[in-house]
Amino acid sequence: MKFTLNWLKEFVDFCGTAAELSKLLTSAGLEVESLTPLHEPENQAEDWLFEIAVTPNRGDCLGLLGIAREVCALTGAQAKFPAVQTSKKDPRIHKRVALKIEDAGQCARYSARIVDQIKIASSTPLIRFRLESCGIRAINNVVDATNCVMIETGQPLHAFDLARLTAKQIVVRSAGENRKFTTLDGVERELAHEDLLICDGDTPVALAGVMGGMNSEVSAATTSILLESANFAPATIRRTAKRLALHSEASHRFERGVDPEGTLRALDRAVQLISENGGCRPLAGAADCYPEKVKPVTIRLRKPRISRILGVEIELRQAEKLLRSLGLKTTRQAQQLNVVIPTSRPDLTREIDLIGELARLHGYDNIPTTLPLLRPTGGALDFRLAGERKLGNFFAGEGFVEAINLPFTSDALNGLFRGLWQGSQAAVPLLNPLAQENSAMRHSLLPGLLENLRVNLAQKTASFHVYHLGKVFRCHPTGGYEERLCVGGLMHGARAVRGLRRRDESTLDFLQCKGAVEGAIELFGLHDSITWTAVASDILHPGRGAQLHHKDCPIGLLGQLHPDVSEQLEVPQVYVFELDFEKLLEYAPRRMGVRVLAKFPAIERDFAIVVDRDFAAHRIIGWIEHLGESLIEHVRVFDQYIGAPIPDGKKSLAYNISYRAEDRTLTDSEVNPLHRSVVDRIGKEFGAERRS
Amino acid sequence: MTDSLEALRGEVLERIQQANSVKELEQLRIEMLGRSGSITQLLRGLKDLPTEVRPRMGERLNQLRRALEQELDARLAAVSRQAKSKALAEEKIDITLPGTRLDRGHRHPITLVIDEIVEIFLSMGFEIARGPDIEDDYHNFEALNIPKDHPARDMQDTFFVAGGNLLRTHTSPVQIRTMESRKPPLQIIVPGAVYRHDDDATHSPMFHQVEGFMVDHDIAFADLKGVLTHVLRQIFNRDAGVRFRPSFFPFTEPSAEIDIQCVICGGGGTLRNGQSCRVCKASGWLEILGAGMIDPAVFKFVGYDAEEFTGFAFGMGVERIAMLKYGIDDIRLFFQNDLRFLRQFS
Repeated sequence: MKFTLNWLKEFVDFCGTAAELSKLLTSAGLEVESLTPLHEPENQAEDWLFEIAVTPNRGDCLGLLGIAREVCALTGAQAKFPAVQTSKKDPRIHKRVALKIEDAGQCARYSARIVDQIKIASSTPLIRFRLESCGIRAINNVVDATNCVMIETGQPLHAFDLARLTAKQIVVRSAGENRKFTTLDGVERELAHEDLLICDGDTPVALAGVMGGMNSEVSAATTSILLESANFAPATIRRTAKRLALHSEASHRFERGVDPEGTLRALDRAVQLISENGGCRPLAGAADCYPEKVKPVTIRLRKPRISRILGVEIELRQAEKLLRSLGLKTTRQAQQLNVVIPTSRPDLTREIDLIGELARLHGYDNIPTTLPLLRPTGGALDFRLAGERKLGNFFAGEGFVEAINLPFTSDALNGLFRGLWQGSQAAVPLLNPLAQENSAMRHSLLPGLLENLRVNLAQKTASFHVYHLGKVFRCHPTGGYEERLCVGGLMHGARAVRGLRRRDESTLDFLQCKGAVEGAIELFGLHDSITWTAVASDILHPGRGAQLHHKDCPIGLLGQLHPDVSEQLEVPQVYVFELDFEKLLEYAPRRMGVRVLAKFPAIERDFAIVVDRDFAAHRIIGWIEHLGESLIEHVRVFDQYIGAPIPDGKKSLAYNISYRAEDRTLTDSEVNPLHRSVVDRIGKEFGAERRS
Repeated sequence: MTDSLEALRGEVLERIQQANSVKELEQLRIEMLGRSGSITQLLRGLKDLPTEVRPRMGERLNQLRRALEQELDARLAAVSRQAKSKALAEEKIDITLPGTRLDRGHRHPITLVIDEIVEIFLSMGFEIARGPDIEDDYHNFEALNIPKDHPARDMQDTFFVAGGNLLRTHTSPVQIRTMESRKPPLQIIVPGAVYRHDDDATHSPMFHQVEGFMVDHDIAFADLKGVLTHVLRQIFNRDAGVRFRPSFFPFTEPSAEIDIQCVICGGGGTLRNGQSCRVCKASGWLEILGAGMIDPAVFKFVGYDAEEFTGFAFGMGVERIAMLKYGIDDIRLFFQNDLRFLRQFS
């Protein structure tokens, strides 16, 4: 809402400065968004343009009258209204025009006046200046008068060229079968059944509360006008304006509620403004269709309730004074007030609304600042937060930077990167995406990270290790939506080393990627219960991809991005991983036990075997563990060698077994035969040739 | 004999002093004190001396031997020390060369700010609640007292998905979901991503909020002031001015916008160079939080008796706080994940 200070002063005796008013309004909830100095035309008098943010509940402050009432409440000043000649009983108007409201639920009131012998001309420079300052184009004396009155009273008005209303019968009704209507901006609009129309007989002449029609527009040739001042249902106007994306000054006000008691006052003021330049002849009477008078409501306000909500005592006497300053009527009854709400404040419907008004007028600054006692509820250690922090710290230590991406992606990328979803792969589509390539909710975090890689490669980044903890989405197979928190990662280039160039720098490989994933798994105590299997996936290198399972449940995948995908997305070779963070949390043991420290030393023995190149090293470990040999404490693979003198198609694997007894120190004579036997059996079991 | 001993002594001592290496000194020790060394030979020759001079001669020779041994040891220690110093001096490195280390990673600035805010609330006994990003109209609007066809919906441009659902426009639906399933007392904080159909330098289609609320028999607006003043001073500055202004949200009554004194100009509205502050538009204040007492209509939706319970709720935009804290002027920087930007938060 924009207005100028001098204009406002015609409605209230305010003698402070613009800056003072600005502070006052902001502190009362009418936030002043900008304040600009102006000079009136002709006399060059100083003026100020105020732009205030009016919250949706305060439709009454979309007019100077309402703002003036606020200023009165805040300063004790007196409100005033320019003297106007009010309409009189004059039956002549009923011979000129008839009014009919089909549904009072859509239109509570429709008032009209007629002005004859009008000369269409420009408005005065002051009116033009004020309207233009407030962002409204000045058009002619009639239209400008209606707009002035709208700014002054908040009541939108519309002027019809009376000569163009041939039936002389105004009907307010739903569009029904009327499908099309051309508004005065020359655009033909598609109508919906429930749009509210103003009709002249059968002919639509205005889209009620939104915009007038081209067929009845005031023009230079107009000599008689019908001025409309009506009260339309907010929701109806909003639906129409929203659907047609036709947001007008009028619809903005009707959506927020206009005082049904103010229609005549606005009409009279408009007639006065039009008459000010002389010449025209208004009919003295007004036509007024007001099927059911809107009555002020009475609300009970209990004193104890005030202090309970606000935390400050406000005496009833004080409360009365504050509420009366807003123009509310109050009567006292023991520990409560009965408050009569004028129709200009449709936002005040409940006791709590009055408490809100009291808080506002008492001043938020005058409400004390207290700290509530702690309740015996919260502060519980949040397992997920702890997990998120642990993961963040781990990845930071591993050299990963956290990325956050928007969850939107394209159908094509969703088709390729299906993430960890099993079964149904239906993506969640956005009905109103910002761009077509962002029209679906992502299945996977990887496309976002790959896009980040591209951004950074453009900056010549040699090493790019990132992770993203974010949600992925899909349509649930049985209806509804499903979202899961996952962690995705991308590694490109060797981990960056600060300092001098190092000659032993390693290049990124699969095992480094696996190491990062293993570390993340270990954070949740799951390293012993995860199985790793080679996986065939469209996005992973056929020989360098793995899936992780906990029991039978897939919880992640990792590997080198398939060279075809790299090529398609125009990115270099990268390693990626994606883990189901929620499953990690779900399976993580909540309690950790400490093993007793061994009392006796272990004896370690190594062995190496030659096996086929595609033999899975872990099979030997699983087999040894499966033996259940009580003296074997631990087995690990520590080397793999390919090349001469190992024959082509073969590889050498080296393992280490740790032997330990709980109750004694083992001796070579006990361990050696056992080790020999284990290694011999491995040779037989796997057809492996022993190397040392 | 005595004179020749003195001469020998002088000569050997001189040689010891001149020796510059461990090797030379060991050589000397062998020459003098070894099995066929000069002193050893002399000692062996004692038996050929007349008995009356033998004791005196013996004593002098032994004195000489001890003295030489002492000198040798002393010189040896000195020479070793010198050799070590020399070796250490040769190991000297240029300490101005850069240290070697693996690049550390770090968390995203938004995560850092969320973590900081959450930590403050956790320390006050709040607990965390979460909810879905894809919400239904009921939880995102209806139950928050934002009916269909109400202009308050314009405050939040919405992304829609099929089935009448939407991407939550604020974290407030979690308020509803929590109250639907639990009874007071509640003191809850809700960090999370939210979505608005908007995209420019100050609006991102996704951003983050931290929502919070407290409900019990006796929670008042004064408590809201206390808790949020404390939190804002923790986030920004112990001495920062905090201002509560009336505002409107459909789900709270009374409602407040909460401002802090501008972190750029210090609240004066003008910069040190005399120009007016762009960040607070010269007002001296920055809007940082929306809050209010939970509207009885909301309590009704979740089945609470508004006569029995009162509570406050608030929400803040994380990106806005991060932008103010770090002087960032384009919100899109947060989601491009350009390392040149992110690295500054390590």
